Amino acid sequence: MPNIERRDFLKLVGAGGVGVGAGYVLRESIKHPKENLIPHIVAPEEYSSGIATWYNSVCSMCSSGCGISVRTREGRAKKIEGNPLHPVSQGKLCAIGQSGLQVLYNPDRLTGPLVQNGVRGSDSFAQISWEEGLSSVANRLELLNAAGRGDRVAFLSEGMSGHLAQLLELFMEQMGSDRLLHYDFDHPHSLYAAHQQFFGEKLLPYYDLKNARYLLSFGADFLGSWISPVHHSIGFGHSREGLSGARGRFVQIEPRMSVTGAAADEWIAAKPGTEGILALGIAHHLVASGYYQGDDRNEWAVALADYSENVVAGKTGIPVETITRLADTFASSEPSLAIGGGSAGNHSNGVETLVAVNALNYLVGNLGKPGGLVFNPAAAGQASQPHQASLRDMLALAEDARQGQIEVLVINGVNPVFTMPNGTEFGEALAQIPLIVSLSSFMDETAALADVILPSHTYLESWGDSFPEPGVGIPTGSISQPVVAPLYNTKATGDTVLELSQRLSFNEAIPWHDMEGCLKEGWRKIFSQRGGRAQAGGFDLFWRELCKAGAWGEEARFEGTYALDKAVIAGIGVQDPEFSGSADDYPFILHPYLSMALHDGSAANLPWMQELPDPMTSVVYGSWVEINPSTAKKLGLVEGDLVDIESIEGSIRAPVYVYPAIMPDVVAMPIGQGHTKFGRYAENRGVNPIEILSSRVEEHSGGFASSATRIKITPTGDRVEIVKTGGNSRELGREIVQTTGESAGTSAKLNSIPITTVQT
Amino acid sequence: MSILDRFAESWRKYRKPGYYDEFDYHWTMSIDLDRCTGCGACETACQAENNLPIVGEKAFSQGREVKWLRIERYWEGEYPDAKLRFMPMLCQHCDSAPCETVCPVTATYHNQDGLNTQVYNRCIGTRSCAVYCPYEVRYFNYIDHKWDSPLDQQLNPDVTVREKGVMEKCTFCIQRIRQAKDEAKDDGRRRVRDGEVQPACVQTCATGAMVFGDRKDPKSKVSKSINGPRAYRVLDELNTDSSVIYLKKVEA
Repeated sequence: MPNIERRDFLKLVGAGGVGVGAGYVLRESIKHPKENLIPHIVAPEEYSSGIATWYNSVCSMCSSGCGISVRTREGRAKKIEGNPLHPVSQGKLCAIGQSGLQVLYNPDRLTGPLVQNGVRGSDSFAQISWEEGLSSVANRLELLNAAGRGDRVAFLSEGMSGHLAQLLELFMEQMGSDRLLHYDFDHPHSLYAAHQQFFGEKLLPYYDLKNARYLLSFGADFLGSWISPVHHSIGFGHSREGLSGARGRFVQIEPRMSVTGAAADEWIAAKPGTEGILALGIAHHLVASGYYQGDDRNEWAVALADYSENVVAGKTGIPVETITRLADTFASSEPSLAIGGGSAGNHSNGVETLVAVNALNYLVGNLGKPGGLVFNPAAAGQASQPHQASLRDMLALAEDARQGQIEVLVINGVNPVFTMPNGTEFGEALAQIPLIVSLSSFMDETAALADVILPSHTYLESWGDSFPEPGVGIPTGSISQPVVAPLYNTKATGDTVLELSQRLSFNEAIPWHDMEGCLKEGWRKIFSQRGGRAQAGGFDLFWRELCKAGAWGEEARFEGTYALDKAVIAGIGVQDPEFSGSADDYPFILHPYLSMALHDGSAANLPWMQELPDPMTSVVYGSWVEINPSTAKKLGLVEGDLVDIESIEGSIRAPVYVYPAIMPDVVAMPIGQGHTKFGRYAENRGVNPIEILSSRVEEHSGGFASSATRIKITPTGDRVEIVKTGGNSRELGREIVQTTGESAGTSAKLNSIPITTVQT
Repeated sequence: MSILDRFAESWRKYRKPGYYDEFDYHWTMSIDLDRCTGCGACETACQAENNLPIVGEKAFSQGREVKWLRIERYWEGEYPDAKLRFMPMLCQHCDSAPCETVCPVTATYHNQDGLNTQVYNRCIGTRSCAVYCPYEVRYFNYIDHKWDSPLDQQLNPDVTVREKGVMEKCTFCIQRIRQAKDEAKDDGRRRVRDGEVQPACVQTCATGAMVFGDRKDPKSKVSKSINGPRAYRVLDELNTDSSVIYLKKVEA
């Protein structure tokens, strides 16, 4: 129901009382008179006043693909929870996922199509109708198509896995362009490349954290930001107390303690970029001490000859005893699992590092076993995963734009001007493109450069689907459905593309009229191929059940065997990491990490997330630089001192936070703040560390080596008060958070809490 | 009998040990610190469910944030042996609550389910309860908070929006408890089944660190979880008899 201002309401009452001319007053005062006067003579289906209706859908706040249940009351979304039926989220959800409501109800949403009527970046936009917007874009595409220059159209979209991805592919195929780029800042390119190198297939396995007894995590912030934090958290909770008889243990190896590091039993700081060398040191011990008894152990011994514990200790800064202890425990705890990613994969040697981590899994023999590395069966519903654009691809796009090779760029759901380093001059490259069309729901840094904005629905207003990648060991898919009527004059991305297709007469290849129809046909195919239990009622029943459940899965597992190519073993080795900037001029290594609340900056416009204290520092509403206490002392810095952080690419200014768990020569900064445009909650708040990162490309994967920038720190003499939740960060003997040894878990001690019982 | 005498009599009865045994439920939460990762999902769930205001950066810097549930963090040791321990802190729903005795208008009292409740309409804003609370989990509305339209469309219609001058705090999501009781009654049951009601924070906790239920039911999940060697109460020496029981973090 649209808003009624109190004044308008009085007018209504007055008019009603008089009984004459009501129609006139109504028409003048509000736009939809009938809806307001008598809201529901016949209430819509699924609507009963005072009773909540829940819709199952999919979260789009990151790429994990968690199933959600949205509680609605009287047509408004009230709360988002995890969908208990969904194999990824299992009824649980993270903080960002729950804030999706503030995407839907964000006061800074674009309410209709806009056209830039000044110079780009001047923030001068005029409202237009959808007809005008769509036809102006379609006309330009038509012209290019007719002239055989359809390949000069590029489509830059957020990562996606469902039928929308296929629709975009079809559309671009019809245009005759292969410039369809799916781009996510945090896509683990090096992990995919490492798996391809090791296992021959560019598909991530399922990491069975739930059943692992001993876990070595090389830089993977799996409880915070890596791949699927909610699903990993469920597994972690289970491994802590759920395993019969023993508590699962895990070791986190990273230069700066992340949320995951805080939950670990042991946090080990290896020199940045040497995580893979440490993995090979452990592998060396596994082979040399005879833990590994495979037929190819001689090949392994040869490949690992250069990684004896002493050499590795020298390179990583980790004592020999620790390396052998980790290796011994890893070999003797069954099942044990090694995972790698995050900052460890974002170095110049990222792929080599993650291949080395895979070697540990191979040597300990956990492949395909519970508590190990479980291969995923092929995803349902699509032939292959859409190609994810790496930094190399993005740089190529920018270069093409500079060369005048791109005449139209459509941007959907991504903000590359914010997430690309300044050194890439991505925004400047975009300026060379004659027509930029943005499908953004918000005026962000990239949308501000667009000529035409055709704003999309939010995910809570659209039809869609997703197939979680990496999967959870079984084929699974989920439906995303509108939970509320669209708030504004916006269109679902799929519908916009379909309308453009119609105008361009792509009807033969793209026959659908709306996204719902496109989805239904896609799922009809899945149903006919692998319908399973709902077969009896036909597709209509299957579809209804699917929309109700929000999720679909099969009891199929990966079937196949795995043999390691001997050439892979011979090629194993990790180069020393390279950094941009000399160690003399830039003594510190910058460790940028994804914020728990703001993700890669895409959640910075949500006030709940701005007010969610950072788990490690409790800071809200700003940026900070984490510095080791001894380094801070040496530089004479205390919390709140403003410093300049300078790399070869530029300089930013932020206050110091003295962080007890970071290496002395590493400095960490959260990504997420520093928006110049993105609505009232995000704008002009903090700084964006991506700006000063050198745009180093990881050689094997083309990914962004975002942890490979050196910086220097210069105090400015100014101070600010860091806004954070109060309280002393030390217990001072108050015994608030109490701890116990591992053995206490089995001893029967009395506890002081009386449990009174009543007969029921 | 004068009003004062009547008051004193009911007060004596109220403070008598065993007073709560007569009632149907004793809602209790257990929080396993060995599983808590400090991710903050519970904080956001609480904010969404209970219409907690967005106070803004300025009010936040003045310590006027409203977080019925917050994550406390305590560092231990120095680099490289530094550890960070998390603790979700919320109203402990003490059976001997210091805040209840001090309210001049009985705006905060103990209800028959073992909940420490806050009656917003009675509260006159003396803030005495916040001073007496050793856990610092009571939050005062120093200003009338606004939701930029249309953010207000998200507000949960089952929960009051509090105004200036009123104290507020965690309710164990009493609206959910009420609903579960109503549903049990509609089903012809006398009691709510274990697991039928979960506060928003417990519902969303991915690691399963939080468990909620009725302590009077010995078979309930929460009774089992607090009946082990790791269970303890925060600031137990104050004899507040809190209903939030923590399980010690395991450290090798």
